[in-house]
Amino acid sequence: MTLLAFDGVTKHYGEELVLDAVSFELDRSEVEVIIGPSGSGKSTLLRCVNRLAEVDNGTIRFDGEPIGDTDADELRRQVGMVFQDFNLFAHRTALGNVTLGLRRVRGFSKEEARERARRELEQVGLGAQLDSYPAELSGGQKQRVGIARALAMDPELLLFDEPTSALDPELIGEVLAVMRELADDGMTMLCVTHELGFARSVADRLTFLEAGAIVERGDPERLFTDPRSDRTAEYLSRLTGEY
Amino acid sequence: MDAVAVETAAILVPDLLGWVPLQTGGDWMFVWENRRFLLLGTAVTILLTLASVGLGFLLGLPAGAIEAYGDGRLQSVVSTVGVALRGTPIVVLIVLFFFGLPIPRQLGSIPVLDVRMSGFLAATLALGLRSAAYQSQVFRGTIQSVGEGQLKAARSLGLSKPAAIRHVVLPQALRRSVPGFQNEFTIVLKDTSVVFAIGLAELLRRGYQLFTQPGRQGAIIEVILAISLIYFVLTFTTNRLLDLLDHHYAIPGGES
Ligand SMILES: Nc1ncnc2c1ncn2[C@@H]1O[C@H](COP(=O)(O)OP(=O)(O)OP(=O)(O)O)[C@@H](O)[C@H]1O
Ligand SMILES: [Mg+2]
Repeated sequence: MTLLAFDGVTKHYGEELVLDAVSFELDRSEVEVIIGPSGSGKSTLLRCVNRLAEVDNGTIRFDGEPIGDTDADELRRQVGMVFQDFNLFAHRTALGNVTLGLRRVRGFSKEEARERARRELEQVGLGAQLDSYPAELSGGQKQRVGIARALAMDPELLLFDEPTSALDPELIGEVLAVMRELADDGMTMLCVTHELGFARSVADRLTFLEAGAIVERGDPERLFTDPRSDRTAEYLSRLTGEY
Repeated sequence: MDAVAVETAAILVPDLLGWVPLQTGGDWMFVWENRRFLLLGTAVTILLTLASVGLGFLLGLPAGAIEAYGDGRLQSVVSTVGVALRGTPIVVLIVLFFFGLPIPRQLGSIPVLDVRMSGFLAATLALGLRSAAYQSQVFRGTIQSVGEGQLKAARSLGLSKPAAIRHVVLPQALRRSVPGFQNEFTIVLKDTSVVFAIGLAELLRRGYQLFTQPGRQGAIIEVILAISLIYFVLTFTTNRLLDLLDHHYAIPGGES
């Protein structure tokens, strides 16, 4: 069943065409990984989904409804976002980061929110860091707080924008492990990441975006072994060559 | 805080006076005899400062937020008013408000302090509005210094823009505003002395009244020194209190 559908989505920043007639569908419980060169529009694509950016043309449907027809705040409650540089609320503890949305958006009582936040943080292995402030956490721990914060809203869809790019290599694994678990639990995920191991073993779909347009999209294994486009082959070999 | 300052002044002034190596014991006695008169002036100064800084905060914070986030018309109105207030000498503002605003003169006096209510209101408005204009710049700067990602993260949880500003941006911006606020507090405290111009009996004016009494011109240095000491104690105390506030609310581990 389709949860997210792009239909001919176009977006400009000034004169620059950033998304060029992007169309695809993502089913519930599917994991999609998007790769592409810097500036190809990956972040913009994600931001259009939760309306941090507005599209110029075309339609994005979430759960069948064009997202322009729903209230942006309501849409954002249902679509979680995890950021490259975490964007944790610096003045709040790990627990406080998770309770904010529960209290102010979902209307939980203080006690309910703390209880729920505690469970979410334990789920990502941070039961011992509830009262730590972001500055007191490692990068991997920060990103797991970021994921717990998004999960606490009970989202239908999670957007990940290069969640491991700001991490030291030895911390990437702990974040990918949490993402893998979410995928196994049936969370629908749209991930921009260049962790090809994750793409191959977890993703149901792999999309190669270049200059705002989808060059190729399909089963990850097939894109790696039998790409239809030379551009895909070239880009993937360049990426794997680096590792 | 004001009670503490007044008490400290009351203890310090007589103690220190004995140490000042001026051969004019009689003039120091004169200051001492008029301590109650000067302390009432101190109370007026403190009250005026608190009211003005408070008004400045109430107006300056939203003004700063509008300058940081607002769009178009409202923003340009706010910043124009700010430029005008910051660009006008404070004496001019006070005189203008006192004689230009329809504040009824028959409001009478504030009990104990013995100052005219109408003068006090005009002075509070002038000092408060001007302080708002300066505080808005402090808050605009610290609001803008909070990373854009913070607002993005809050909004992507589904918080409305005002809620995101209120719960995520302002708590961080206010912490960073303490040094600027400290500065502003000190400036307002010292600038209360210009209410002199509309005859409000705050600390400096009362000192003036003392040494202009017939035959008391010799006490001018002593009176001014005593008054300076009181101003010093007041600024020192408020700065310390705001430092404590700053430490109390500091974010563990610094900011990231
Ligand atoms: N807010 C903005 N205003 C103007 N131009 C923007 C804005 N955001 C992105 N762009 C431009 O749009 C293009 C696509 O940017 P985007 O961030 O989506 O790329 P990306 O694929 O995520 O790149 P990266 O891998 O570097 O994160 C870039 O040329 C960028 O300069
Ligand atoms: Mg990006």
